[in-house]
Amino acid sequence: MRGFLLRRLAALVPVLIGVSVVIFLLMHLAPGDVTTTLLGPQATEADRVALRRTLGLDQPVPAQYARWVARIAEGDLGTSVATSRPVAALIVPRFLNTALLAAASLALAMAIGYGAGLLAALRPRSVLDRVLTGVTLLFGSTPPFWLGLVLVLFFALRLRWLPVSGMTDMAGEGGVLDVARHLVLPTVTTALGPAAIITRLVRSSVLEAIGRPHVRVARAKGLGRGALLRRHVILNALPPIMTITGLQLGYLLGGALFSEVVFAWPGLGSLLYDSITARDTPVVQATTLLIALLFVLVNVLVDLVNAALDPRLKES
Amino acid sequence: MGHRMAVPLLIRVAIGAALAIIQPTATPQAQAAGTLIWGMPSETDTMDPHATGGWTTYQITYQIFEGLAKEDLTKGDVPTPPLVPGLAASWEISPDGLQYTFKLRPGVTFHDGTPFDAAAVKFNFERFWDKSSPNYYPKAASFVVAYAKWIKGMEVLDPMTVRVILTAPNYEWLRQGLQSYGQPLMVSPAAVKAYGNEGIALHPIGTGPFRFVERQQGVRTVLERNPDYWGRKAQLDRVIFRPLQDPATRVNALSNGEVQMISTPPWDEIQGLVDDGFKLSTNPNVPYINYLYLNMKQDVFKDVRVRRAVNMAIDREGIAREIYRKTGRPEFGLLSPGTDAYDPGFRSYKYDPDAAKKLFAEAGYPNGFKVVFEIPQVGTGELVESWIQRDLKKVGIDVELRKFEWVTYMGRWAGGMGQDIGMNEIGWGMSTPAWINIVARCDTMAPDGQNSGYYCNKEVDALLSQALTTRDPAAAKALYQKANRIIMDDAAYVPIVDDLQPIMLSPKVHGFVNPPEDWFDLSTVSVD
Repeated sequence: MRGFLLRRLAALVPVLIGVSVVIFLLMHLAPGDVTTTLLGPQATEADRVALRRTLGLDQPVPAQYARWVARIAEGDLGTSVATSRPVAALIVPRFLNTALLAAASLALAMAIGYGAGLLAALRPRSVLDRVLTGVTLLFGSTPPFWLGLVLVLFFALRLRWLPVSGMTDMAGEGGVLDVARHLVLPTVTTALGPAAIITRLVRSSVLEAIGRPHVRVARAKGLGRGALLRRHVILNALPPIMTITGLQLGYLLGGALFSEVVFAWPGLGSLLYDSITARDTPVVQATTLLIALLFVLVNVLVDLVNAALDPRLKES
Repeated sequence: MGHRMAVPLLIRVAIGAALAIIQPTATPQAQAAGTLIWGMPSETDTMDPHATGGWTTYQITYQIFEGLAKEDLTKGDVPTPPLVPGLAASWEISPDGLQYTFKLRPGVTFHDGTPFDAAAVKFNFERFWDKSSPNYYPKAASFVVAYAKWIKGMEVLDPMTVRVILTAPNYEWLRQGLQSYGQPLMVSPAAVKAYGNEGIALHPIGTGPFRFVERQQGVRTVLERNPDYWGRKAQLDRVIFRPLQDPATRVNALSNGEVQMISTPPWDEIQGLVDDGFKLSTNPNVPYINYLYLNMKQDVFKDVRVRRAVNMAIDREGIAREIYRKTGRPEFGLLSPGTDAYDPGFRSYKYDPDAAKKLFAEAGYPNGFKVVFEIPQVGTGELVESWIQRDLKKVGIDVELRKFEWVTYMGRWAGGMGQDIGMNEIGWGMSTPAWINIVARCDTMAPDGQNSGYYCNKEVDALLSQALTTRDPAAAKALYQKANRIIMDDAAYVPIVDDLQPIMLSPKVHGFVNPPEDWFDLSTVSVD
C-alpha cells in the first residue's frame, strides 16, 4: 500500500508543474495589462515601463516562471499586485469558506445521491425509479444560477425563512447558527447538480452488481436481502461511486462559481474571477495551483480508498 | 431498547437544529443603531486615495480622507458641487493665478492622533509630486498626475500655512484635484511611515468623518464614526460596504433587508422596488456622460458629413425613454450636466435617419459601409449597444460589435483605436468642464492621453487653454460652451445618454443626498 501511495503522490508533481505552466502562459497570452489596473489610463508609458521593471514583468516569461517557482518552493506565494496584500492572506480565508460550502454540498449530494440511487436500483423500472431518476435528471440539468435565484425568491423573499446573501448577518452578532442559516441555500443550489450525477451512477453501479453471477448464487443459497446488499452488491458497486464522488468534491472545491456569485459567498471561485479580471497573476497562479492540488489529492485519496476496497487495483 | 430510542432522539435533534436554522427571518434584521449597509456592484481596489482611480473606491475613501479644498456633497439641488474649505480653512490665489496660499485648519488630527499641519501637507505633496523626495511614491504620482503636473513648487510658510506655485494659471486646478484618478487628499504621514507606501492601503488613516475599522476582501469594508471629527460629526455609528456583483443579488439583499442601500440597480427592477416602498434617489446633474468616439484616422470618419450622419442616425431620446425609463436623459454635447458650463438647452443633432441617409449618400456611401464598434463588458450595456447597432443598420451601416473584458478594453481604449476600429465607447466625465482637455485635445491623443479617436482641432485647444486661465467663471463657462459647440459641429463624438445616478434606499434610511458627483457624503445619513 505504501508503494502504491508513493507512486500516486509522485505522479502529482508533473501534473502540478503542467497546471502551473499552462496557467502562467495563459495569463501572459491574455490581452490586457496589469499596469492599466495599477496605474490607471492616464499613466505615461515611462511610468508603465518602470512599474513593469519593478514587478519583474520586463523579464522573459521563462525567467519569470522560474522566479515564481523558486519562491513557491520557499513557501512564498507572493504579493497580490492589485491589493498589495500577501497572496496567502487572501487565499486562506477564501479557501476555508469554499471548503465549508463544498463539504456541506458534498454531504447533501451524497445523502441524496446514495439514497435515491440505491432506492431506484432496488426497484428498477418501477414508478419510484422513474420518479427519482426523472427528478434528479431535472435538477441535474437546471442551471445553478437560475436554481439559486428561484430558491432565493421562494425561501428568502416569499417565505423569509433564510437570508439572501453572504455568510453572516452583517448587522448581527454572527455565530455558528448564523453561518448555518446562510449556508442552506448555497448548499442546496450547489449540491443538486452533483447529487443528480451521483444518483445516476449509484443506480447503474448497483444494478450492474446485482446482475453479477456471484450475487445470483448468493441469493440462490438463501442469503438475506440485507446481507446480500452489504456483502456482495454495495461493496462491488463502490469503486466507481467513490471515483465519481471524488470528482464531484474536486469540482466543488474548485469553487462552485455560480453559487458564490448568486449568494455572494466569498470563496475561491469569486476570488479567482476578481483576480483574473484585475490581471492579478500571483493570486490567479496560487489559486489555480491550490485548486489543482486539491483536485489531485482528492483523487489520490479516492484511489487509496478504492485500492483498500479492491486489492486488484493496487496491482494495476 | 436504548438503541431504538436513540434514532428518534437523533431525528428530533436534527429537526430541532433545522428549525433553528430555518427560522423566519425578522424582516429586516435587527440592527445595531445607525448602521448603514451598502450593496455595491464591485469590490473596491486599494484604499490609498493617491493611488486609485475607481469611483467605487472613492465612495469609501471620501468618507475617510479629506483634501485642502473639498466638494460639498451635502447638496443635491445644485448644478455642480460647491468648492468649500476642507483641511485648509481658507486660501488665496495670487493675482497672476500662479500662487495658492493655504491657511490650514487648526486643531485637526488624523485618526491615528497625528496632528495635521504644514509638515503633513508637505509630506503628502512630496509623496505624489516631488521626485527628489525620499517620500516620493511613483504609483501615487502616476494617479495624481492631472493635479500634480501643474505644480512647480511647494513651500511651508509657517506651521499652519503652505504655498503651492503652479507652472501656469489654471483656475480649475483645485477642482481637478477632486476628480477621479488619484486625489491629493491628506494621508497620515505617520501611517505611511509605519506601514509603508503599499501598507497604507490596509491602514487607510485620514481626517474624515469616518475612520477605517476593517476590510475583508470580497466580503466587506467597515468604517465607524470619527468622534473627534473637526466638522459636523457623522450620524451613523457604522457603514458597511458590501461588494454584491450580481445585480439580482443586490436587489434581493435590499428587498430582504440585508442591505439598506444599493447602487447601480438594474433599470427594469427600479419601478418594482419603488412600488414595494423603497426610495429612489436620482440626480439630474451627473458629472459624466456615455458617449462614442469616432476614429478620425479611419477614411470613412475623416468626412465630417459621415460623422454628423452617425450623430443623426441614433435615437438618443428613444434610448433614454425605452431603456433607461425614468433614470436617463439624452445628451447632445461633451459637457456633462455636473459641470457649471453645461447648457441644458444645447442640441447638436436631433434624430433624423432620413437626413442621415442623405448625408451618407453625399459623402459617397449611398449603400452604407461596415464599421467595427468596440465595447466593454460593463459599458452602457447590451441593450443600448444593440439599440445603436440597430439604428445604424436602419441607415445602411453594418455595425460589428466587439466586446472585451474591462481591463483588456481599458488598454485598447486608452491606447487609441486601431486602424480597423471605427468606434468605441466610454461613460466618463468630471464635475469640471476642464475634463474635455483630457479627451479632446490634440496633445492628449492616444496613447499619450484619452483622446481615443484622435480628434484634433487647434481652435478647440486654444479655447480650452484660454478657459483654464480665465479667472471669471462666467467668461470661462462661455469659452467651454464655445469649445463644445465646435466639437459637436465637427461631430467628433457621439454623445448618447447619461443615467441619473439611481440609488435605491430602504425606507429606514434618512438624510441621503445624491449630489452632482460620483461619490457621496455619508455623514448626513441616518438609519432607523
